Amino acid sequence: MTTTETPLAARLVTQPRRSAGARRARARRALVGYAFIAPAVVLFLVLGLYTIVYSFGLSFAKWNGFSPTWEWVGLQNYRDILYADPRLAPEMRNAALNTGIAMVAVSAGTVLIALPLATLLNSITRLRGTLRSVFFLPYVTAGIAVYYAWRYVLEPDGAVNLALRSVGLGSLARPQGFLADPDTALPTLIVIMIWGSVPVAMLLYLAGLQAIDPAVMEAAALDGAGAVRRLRHITWPLLVPITVAIVLLGLRDTMQGFQIFLIMTNGGPAGHTDVLGLKAYQQAFFQSLSPTLGVASALGWLIFVLALLLAVANARALRGQR
Amino acid sequence: MRRPSAWGVVAYVALVLYAVISLYPFAWMVSAAFKDRLEVLEGGHLIPARPTLATLADTWSRLHFFDYFLNSLQVTGLTVLGVLVIYSLAGYAFAMVEFPGRRFVFWFFVALLFVPSITVLLPLTILENRLGLLGTHAGLILPFVNGTAPLAVLMLTAAFRAVPRDLHDAATADGAGELRIFWRVYLPLARPTLITIGVLTAVPTWNEYVLTRVSLNDESRYTLPLALERLASGTVPSYNEIMAGSLILVVPVIVLFLALQRYFVNGLSGAVKN
Repeated sequence: MTTTETPLAARLVTQPRRSAGARRARARRALVGYAFIAPAVVLFLVLGLYTIVYSFGLSFAKWNGFSPTWEWVGLQNYRDILYADPRLAPEMRNAALNTGIAMVAVSAGTVLIALPLATLLNSITRLRGTLRSVFFLPYVTAGIAVYYAWRYVLEPDGAVNLALRSVGLGSLARPQGFLADPDTALPTLIVIMIWGSVPVAMLLYLAGLQAIDPAVMEAAALDGAGAVRRLRHITWPLLVPITVAIVLLGLRDTMQGFQIFLIMTNGGPAGHTDVLGLKAYQQAFFQSLSPTLGVASALGWLIFVLALLLAVANARALRGQR
Repeated sequence: MRRPSAWGVVAYVALVLYAVISLYPFAWMVSAAFKDRLEVLEGGHLIPARPTLATLADTWSRLHFFDYFLNSLQVTGLTVLGVLVIYSLAGYAFAMVEFPGRRFVFWFFVALLFVPSITVLLPLTILENRLGLLGTHAGLILPFVNGTAPLAVLMLTAAFRAVPRDLHDAATADGAGELRIFWRVYLPLARPTLITIGVLTAVPTWNEYVLTRVSLNDESRYTLPLALERLASGTVPSYNEIMAGSLILVVPVIVLFLALQRYFVNGLSGAVKN
């Protein structure tokens, strides 16, 4: 900012005049720079930018993927999704509701489990490394294999039901299996998603707790600050930004991720686990010849807008703390 | 001195309890993979009464999981290689080389982080279909590489920027060109970051299912997640085989994670902080 305050004359004096040689050297460096980023940029332009623009265009058209031309319909796809189509709009509202419930429940559940877990892990010395590795397995293996394993234990005659019956909690068991029962399908998936997102959250909390200087804690204790005051004035302020990050990460991942829904229930039973991402996927790939690709793109863009709003909220929340 | 130890016992009990919860589905996965077709139907007991290796052996060879394993290895390996080559070059340029538009292009890459994959999934398959890439391994690898761009660019640019500038100036004075400085001086210094990005790329790529499912048709090109889905959607799916296939899928990532845990943990907390 100092340059703007420097008088013009002074700047003219201090700024050396560029010779032709220097200019050529700069141009050469720029060329080298472009050559270094070229592979990344080409990949990005083709697979990133092109597809984003294409999907934006397609969201204003009707197309089944096979006919030679698109039929432009303006905002019709967006209107159909939001309110106009008597069959589609209620389905979407239901999926949006389920998505919202999952987003809030997963974020809150993750914090409620990961924070105590990290605190406990930070308070012990023996076995800390081993336990951390074990806690991390759900994250590393996240995907189809683990979802099938969960499906297996949640079957009508699966391990969970049998365990509940054997400890006298048979009333909690689900004879149809947890995923086929409309009352338990979504809550069960939420629990599994929390199970999958606790590892990263725990790791972040652990890193935060370990960053607290023990000398500061000791000094505060010597100054007469009790455990509660130390928690409130030293530990908590450090954990707030981490909590914000975890919550926003949870909201984002739950909104965009539909893999677990696709593999474990595919939206069932009867739409009880439909979410927005899954709807977009089905509209895009499983409507054979109906012209639903425009609707799928419009839905993808609505999800995109929600993701951007979350990102803005993220930036504001982080700025608010500084 | 009694109270801390009582607290310690409570802490250990709670932690071990959560360790059990973390391991729960894996325990049953292993259990079912060592049962035969009849015993897995009985259910209820974790330790197999007649443990057998036949299920795993059968899944590995007769159900061709060995071939799918090689396919997965190829897709994941080439994706990691592509990410490391392409984005270490780009990261180096963003950190060390001055060129017009540098900041703009950099932030463009970072902004890609906010595009949900479902938004581009459909146009991606349409594009690949036109280019004749749909259904090939290249058609998976290229989008996987591009999807890692924000993370890799952010981390590698930061890593190269952390190297003292003097090294660059000294090498330039010795007459070395940028490519040589990059390859001989900077790349070796960024090794920890390269390994971290390699692991953070390999794990989700190994587990990827959504794009793979809408892309691949030819069974001989299937990766493990897709082979597993095929196995589970058969007419008479049997959980001992499905769990054996799941185990084959999961064990390599667990081994990778345990071997490179240090990089993984550091990288993840670093990546999220950014």
